[in-house]
Amino acid sequence: MSKTWPKGEIAIVGVGSHKYGNFPDLTMADLVLSAIKEAIGSCGIDKNDIGAVIVEPCLTDPEWNSYIAWSWMVDALGLGGKCKHNFLVHSGGSVGMSSLLAAGGLIATGRTDTVLIAHAEKLSTPPNPGITQEDFAADVRAIFSTAGMYEEWEVPYGYHFNAIAGLVTHRYMHETGTPIEEIASVVTSNRKWAAKNEKALLRREISVEEVMKSRMVASPLTSRMCNIVCDGATALIVTSAKKARDLVETPAYILGIGGVVTNFSLMTAGDVTRFGWKKAFNEAIENAGVKLSDFGTVELYDSYPVFELIQLEEFGFCERGKSGKFVYDGHTWPGGNLPMTTDGGTLGKGHIGVGGSGFVIQGAGQILGKCGGTQVPDVKYSLVTNMGGDYMDAQVIILGGKRS
Amino acid sequence: MSKEIPKGMYISIILREKRKTYSKPFWEGTERRELLIQECVDCGKRIYPPAYLCPSCLSTNLAWMKASGKGKVYSFSTLYQGPPVHYEGKTPYTLALVDLKEGVRMLTHIVECKAEEIKCDMEVEVTFEDFKEMGLTLPKFRPI
Repeated sequence: MSKTWPKGEIAIVGVGSHKYGNFPDLTMADLVLSAIKEAIGSCGIDKNDIGAVIVEPCLTDPEWNSYIAWSWMVDALGLGGKCKHNFLVHSGGSVGMSSLLAAGGLIATGRTDTVLIAHAEKLSTPPNPGITQEDFAADVRAIFSTAGMYEEWEVPYGYHFNAIAGLVTHRYMHETGTPIEEIASVVTSNRKWAAKNEKALLRREISVEEVMKSRMVASPLTSRMCNIVCDGATALIVTSAKKARDLVETPAYILGIGGVVTNFSLMTAGDVTRFGWKKAFNEAIENAGVKLSDFGTVELYDSYPVFELIQLEEFGFCERGKSGKFVYDGHTWPGGNLPMTTDGGTLGKGHIGVGGSGFVIQGAGQILGKCGGTQVPDVKYSLVTNMGGDYMDAQVIILGGKRS
Repeated sequence: MSKEIPKGMYISIILREKRKTYSKPFWEGTERRELLIQECVDCGKRIYPPAYLCPSCLSTNLAWMKASGKGKVYSFSTLYQGPPVHYEGKTPYTLALVDLKEGVRMLTHIVECKAEEIKCDMEVEVTFEDFKEMGLTLPKFRPI
């Protein structure tokens, strides 16, 4: 067995996030600073201990990305002269993993023992007052029909992220025989969790029938089976294990990680019903030395229902083709034996662009006991996934309340 | 998006500027109603989408070959709502991944067929449609 990560040497101690929603009167700065303040307050760390700032980009405002890449947060938080590094990390939806890799490197090599990771996004209201809501909505639609796509081979066909998920879902249904009702039930599960999440965008529970009856968007997906974009922000504090113990009772130690990037485009992906999840998961769980039954929650990156089903099967929680029934029967709901995507995911909580860190925050929060209405009792281990690109970048993180 | 550029034109302008020198023969082929794919002269790998380097052996010694135009639908999704700006007014349309007999997969449209009749593994053949706003002739597929 090869080691994939210095098990238990690095921990998440502080988590914070702004409410997910539509905030025309708030700027990126407002959103992100409130998340950072919450993260710092949640672990009681001295902000002057922050030795490095890792920022994650938004999709809608290149000027904001320059601003934060060029160290605006160092001034905003009064870290001048003490902060050794400030830089931007980007890998689409898998950015949560990428930021942790960078933070882990900084800590393991002794550059610093405390790293702040922060992200803000405005996807439902304009980031700048100069843009009308209508023009902004057209820009956002353009993002989800061009970003991460071949401009010559995909964009001319009117490709769209909803259709990418539609293509994967149809093939998955064809190969496994899973009925659409079972796929729709993932939305019901995530929305049950979102209803308990004070910070979620969509707080009303929704039945499978209602998911099915919403308007068809990209067959076989109805509108409720597609994530909803909104405004929001996240922040987390990562420290060395030594420092973590002085700050909080049960830090969320990073016990193992795994990752497999299979492709850029579905055209070269071969099998689109599995991707690299099995290999990424095996790498992570071997390093962590835990069992499937150890996980108190699984915080699976959703975007669209089929991706959660694929992950449940590739990780071994369900046999191939049986995960839909598993979710339909309520095992992943609040009170179920495998609480899944307990903040509601992008289908319930809301989608804030490169939002991988939100899943890390929920997994860590479950161990730290910071999940409020979505807290699951006695979570000792949590599985977190991030998915980047057109869903072919599979990243797995295993967190635990004990170092070994 | 600049206001001076009419909606829809934005993407076509980007496309024209970005069209790569190595992919020109493909688009010249579609104008002649021919579907071309690449084949690596050194290792034999069939390549689509068109590439500058062979992704298997990194050779630049790539030749164009005429594809049979026959294949199977690997998967499909019909877009009804929220199309990109350059497809406004064109919904519904069916996006599909088609596996060509030559062993490559294309993102394309299924045409000349009702959306509800399209199935995975259905046999299809190429046809060509001009997309005037973009200055491209796109290969699409219809049931055999």
